[in-house]
Amino acid sequence: MKDRGIVLAQARMAILVALRTPRAMIFTVLFPLILLVLFNSLFNHGGRDTATLPNDLKLSAQAYFTAGIVAYSVPLSTFTTPAVSQTPQRENGQLKRYRGTPMPPWTFIAAQITRATAQALFMTAVLLAVGAVAYGVPVPGSTFPAFVLYVILGTATCCSLGIALTAFTTTPDSASTIAPFTVVILAFFSGIWIPVDQLPQWLETIGKIFPLYHLALGLQTTLSPSAKGSGIDTQNVLVLALWAIAGARIASTRFRWEPQAARA
Amino acid sequence: MPVVSEAAISVSGLRKAYGENEAVRGIDFEVAAGEVFGFLGPNGAGKTTTIEILEGYRERSAGEVAVLGVDPAAPTRAWRNRVGLVLQECELDPLWTVHEAVALFARFYERPRPVEETIELVGLGAKRDARVGTLSGGQKRRADVAIGIIGDPDLIFLDEPTTGFDPTARRDAWNMIEGLKALGKTVFLTTHYMDEAQHLADRVAILRDGRIVAQGRTEELGESLGRRTVISFTLNGGLAIEDVRSAFSTPPQVSGNRIEVETAQPQADLHRLLSVAEERGAAIDDLEVRRPNLEDIFLELTREQGS
Repeated sequence: MKDRGIVLAQARMAILVALRTPRAMIFTVLFPLILLVLFNSLFNHGGRDTATLPNDLKLSAQAYFTAGIVAYSVPLSTFTTPAVSQTPQRENGQLKRYRGTPMPPWTFIAAQITRATAQALFMTAVLLAVGAVAYGVPVPGSTFPAFVLYVILGTATCCSLGIALTAFTTTPDSASTIAPFTVVILAFFSGIWIPVDQLPQWLETIGKIFPLYHLALGLQTTLSPSAKGSGIDTQNVLVLALWAIAGARIASTRFRWEPQAARA
Repeated sequence: MPVVSEAAISVSGLRKAYGENEAVRGIDFEVAAGEVFGFLGPNGAGKTTTIEILEGYRERSAGEVAVLGVDPAAPTRAWRNRVGLVLQECELDPLWTVHEAVALFARFYERPRPVEETIELVGLGAKRDARVGTLSGGQKRRADVAIGIIGDPDLIFLDEPTTGFDPTARRDAWNMIEGLKALGKTVFLTTHYMDEAQHLADRVAILRDGRIVAQGRTEELGESLGRRTVISFTLNGGLAIEDVRSAFSTPPQVSGNRIEVETAQPQADLHRLLSVAEERGAAIDDLEVRRPNLEDIFLELTREQGS
């Protein structure tokens, strides 16, 4: 009970800090919304009006990009944010200070995951609502649980990779460069900026190695009117889960509480 | 059963090596429960290494250490509940308000002090809702202190708690530390200000090159090291140096009209000096009696070391 209170108190503080950081709000909240509007506007003026997924399912361009931007916003909320916020917390001694209290270490990680999940779900809800109201993207019925499952699985994968990344970023600058850069580049390989059916084969092949491709494809599948059954694809789930496990393994063995830059 | 010791901290034969470099080279000391212990030394003497071992942040290479009866190399949650820390750098999120920060840390402890009262105690009542990032250096330090004591610890490590304070803030901090002592808390204090150690510490240890070069009760440290009281004054007509020379147990130093005497018997010497002046109806100006102070001792003991 007491420990759950500790987790929630820390998660609340992390959310407050995010709300007070204009840069974070612009990049994780405003930016995906702007992208959603831009992509849908571009496709109202030419461009194909349907996209074909690698699994041959078809969906409207609006649904395609809405699912893609949801897939893009998940790592912004849950990969970039932990890496960018935790590195300075470690380097300025805040994490070390936590370790000097009776706070159980796991509660800190749990709080970061709680914050990330809350943010990812909030952004998903906002993007889906805007997609549905402004662009007539159908909110999925039978595949809705699968949609939510992908968001949560994507959050788990991105969180563990984001925390794992902090093991390698010794300065706040390196974290705030590497993390967003990685996501933007991977988005090209993952059919988020450009539909997969218009990508060169080699780009798609590289994309398939990384989790963002599978998160995007999974979400796009669940928004396709022709999706069968629950809409869950084993391959997408498996790749995301493998990355989550790999990230969690690195995060748990290489996580550091003390500043690293000074002793490098 | 572990032996329950009266000492809040007991250290014997403590060593810490970083590769070839031995930062702490075998030190022994005890801190009694309820005392303020000053741990002094120039930069690089091994202060930080030692305090971080005691705080449970660093492993030692050799020696025995018990802090509140527990080996800090294996810190437990119950132990952390009884130990308060004020680390050297400010490490609070600049976007938190003072109240948010203190309330968050209060959550970590089993029996925290009241949050509002603690903020008042460190003198940040007016800054309760200000963000940490907008505080002055001295105010940030007070916020650190608030977080250090919020768990109502039995033992508090204060690592240079008043660095960057103006004289008023320093006085306030001193009052607060004296308040902690009055509550029966044990305080382990490092500081660069010798007047601070002199004022606050019951006992001090002076560290140099990883070894303790002096330790003892603050007011007795000078005498125990053979340092003497210095009497100085100005002759202002009516008296010549020849008249007063015989008053002193040791030969005085004369520079112009200013006389300085280092003595082991300050009371007797002063008595004779004042009697001579009285007999002649002469005045003695600018009379000063200076006991050996910690700063002199510190500078002397740590002098040869390049900082």
